[in-house]
Amino acid sequence: MSTPSEPAGRPRGGAADSLSSGPGRASWPTPSDPDVSWLRPSPLLLRARRIEVGIVTLPLSLVGGLAGATVSAAAGAGIAAAILVAGLVAERLLARRVASWGYAERQDDLLVRRGVLVRRLSVIPYGRMQYIDVSAGPLERSLGLATVRMHTAAAASDARIPGLERAAAAVLRDQLAALGEAHAAGL
Amino acid sequence: MTTPLPDELPGQAAAGDPARALDDSAWHRLHPLSPLVRAGRQLASLLVLLFGISVLNEHQNNGNLVIDVVVIAIALAGGFVSWLVTRWQVADGVLRIDTGLLRRESRRIPLAQVQAVDVAQTGLARVLGLAELQLRVAGGDSARGGRLACLRRADAEELRRELLAMAAAASQGTRRARLAPAAGLVSGAEQAAVADLAPPCSLARPAGPAPVTGGRATPASLPPARVLFRISPQRLAAAIAASRTGAIAVLAAGATAAAVEISGSAHTVEPFLPVLLGVAAGLWRQFNGAYGTVIVAAPDGIQLRSGLVQTTAETIWPGRIQAVRVTEPLIWRAFGWCRLDVDVAGVRQRRENQAEGQRLRALIPVGSRAEAEQMLSELVASRPRPSRPAPQRVRWKAPLSYHFLGWGSDDRYVVASRGRVCRQTTWVPLEKVQSIRWEQGPLQRRLGLATVHLDVAGRRVSAKIEDRDSAEALEILSRLPDLARAARSGGR
Repeated sequence: MSTPSEPAGRPRGGAADSLSSGPGRASWPTPSDPDVSWLRPSPLLLRARRIEVGIVTLPLSLVGGLAGATVSAAAGAGIAAAILVAGLVAERLLARRVASWGYAERQDDLLVRRGVLVRRLSVIPYGRMQYIDVSAGPLERSLGLATVRMHTAAAASDARIPGLERAAAAVLRDQLAALGEAHAAGL
Repeated sequence: MTTPLPDELPGQAAAGDPARALDDSAWHRLHPLSPLVRAGRQLASLLVLLFGISVLNEHQNNGNLVIDVVVIAIALAGGFVSWLVTRWQVADGVLRIDTGLLRRESRRIPLAQVQAVDVAQTGLARVLGLAELQLRVAGGDSARGGRLACLRRADAEELRRELLAMAAAASQGTRRARLAPAAGLVSGAEQAAVADLAPPCSLARPAGPAPVTGGRATPASLPPARVLFRISPQRLAAAIAASRTGAIAVLAAGATAAAVEISGSAHTVEPFLPVLLGVAAGLWRQFNGAYGTVIVAAPDGIQLRSGLVQTTAETIWPGRIQAVRVTEPLIWRAFGWCRLDVDVAGVRQRRENQAEGQRLRALIPVGSRAEAEQMLSELVASRPRPSRPAPQRVRWKAPLSYHFLGWGSDDRYVVASRGRVCRQTTWVPLEKVQSIRWEQGPLQRRLGLATVHLDVAGRRVSAKIEDRDSAEALEILSRLPDLARAARSGGR
């Protein structure tokens, strides 16, 4: 992609930094107050995601390999290897994806950020939260994790924080519910 | 009886009159002819089916006829039973509808949460002088709305007015009850509550002590309704012809004609018939839905009536509008036409033409720019313009939509325009903003751009401030939450 006429002088969100810099140091915009302290999901989330990738990749490569083996042994081995490599690449990218999750509680609203390729940052005023879900799938449960999901009246505002330790999730849920109550506003 | 929302009582008391008329806890029934109207839909589809079957196989349609008659009889009988077991009541600011024979269902709709009340008429209902009352509440679940089908037309209109008045009173009461103890300054909070309820624009109810429109009060005491917009049938027909549906219709007709011409036999039409019928039905639905649209600024909101065979009447409270969008398709732009939609929280009840339920509500199906401007000035008090264009380098990313991208804001509204062929300009009241999202894709990151979304509680509209300079997007992101908060807390 050719760079247009004025590439220089982008103070933040510049072109090169995010793709080359380490995980978590990507240039996230922090609205208004610079001293927003980002909180991260539990490190166990990375393990959960790795297990997920493994669960998908290993049987898939096995099935693919067997299916390919009906044609020729080389094809089977090739397919299995390709799927395994894809799984490994996904595993390498996981660390950055997991590290991109973060949330920050400000005085009047909650910030949630995520994403590596497409980066998203949501601002959800406490008063706009209609209800808060805490959910945990089987894998998350076995690791003692939970996902907190905030719902506003707008379907588009999708804000969730995965991989919180269960106690922390419960605390966050109660905290948000209380804040929501205090800030409540009608439609 | 339990009162699900006890905090509405002060509102009721404050409202006084409008509540009392209906609030007698008496149970009412629907109109005895309503089974016929409700079966009318099945009846119509059965007739079509019957026609189709008898055309296809002319020989043994006798047996089919018997079956059809039996089916219609069953539908009517079912409708009658459901009429027998359905009753409704208004008590303590709650509309209660009980229905069901085997599975009893009792639905309570707190009037304070009602977003809009519509009156709809199918063709058959119009012949019989009946109408259906539809209540909309916020939330994505259509099962939470209420439907009274059918009542006498005059009764439905009357009930609509009363329910709206009670809803206004009740929601004001709730707000007051909630705000007063929390804020501790009753007068200020009350003012805020009133301010929140009153339409944010020149539609304002008669300035004075009570914004609670006396739905029950004599109509003479209210200012006369102003007609804001009236559609012209010719322009509607022309606009539909120049729309996408029209283009498809022309294409389909042309393809059919070409096929007939090439093959030289009239029988070639047959495989095209379903398509042609579908296209014709689409054209008809658009025309029927928008025909005769009249918009009136009434004391209790903006009243909207439309329909040729099947008519609907809706009332939209300006204070409940989540977004206003003006759409200018390519061909319409040449004629200076546009469409104006509003988005209101809450789903419409499903009904015959479902497509309409999924769309935004078109206030102006097609109108001139001047008409749209006038309507906008009613809906959007201060009209900021999308005056800030996108930076030059957006050309690289969005060559087609670059020239339409822009945004603007003041302390109450944000406006954003976008679109490739069709220009869409969306106004969103800051006080309605539910959440704000900042987004940056890989290409945008290269170019130092970002997009900011403003989500509102409507069905599908979110104002999208697309492709701004990163620094500007950041500034938007840090400023808007504060502005929205200020707008919410009633700083008018």
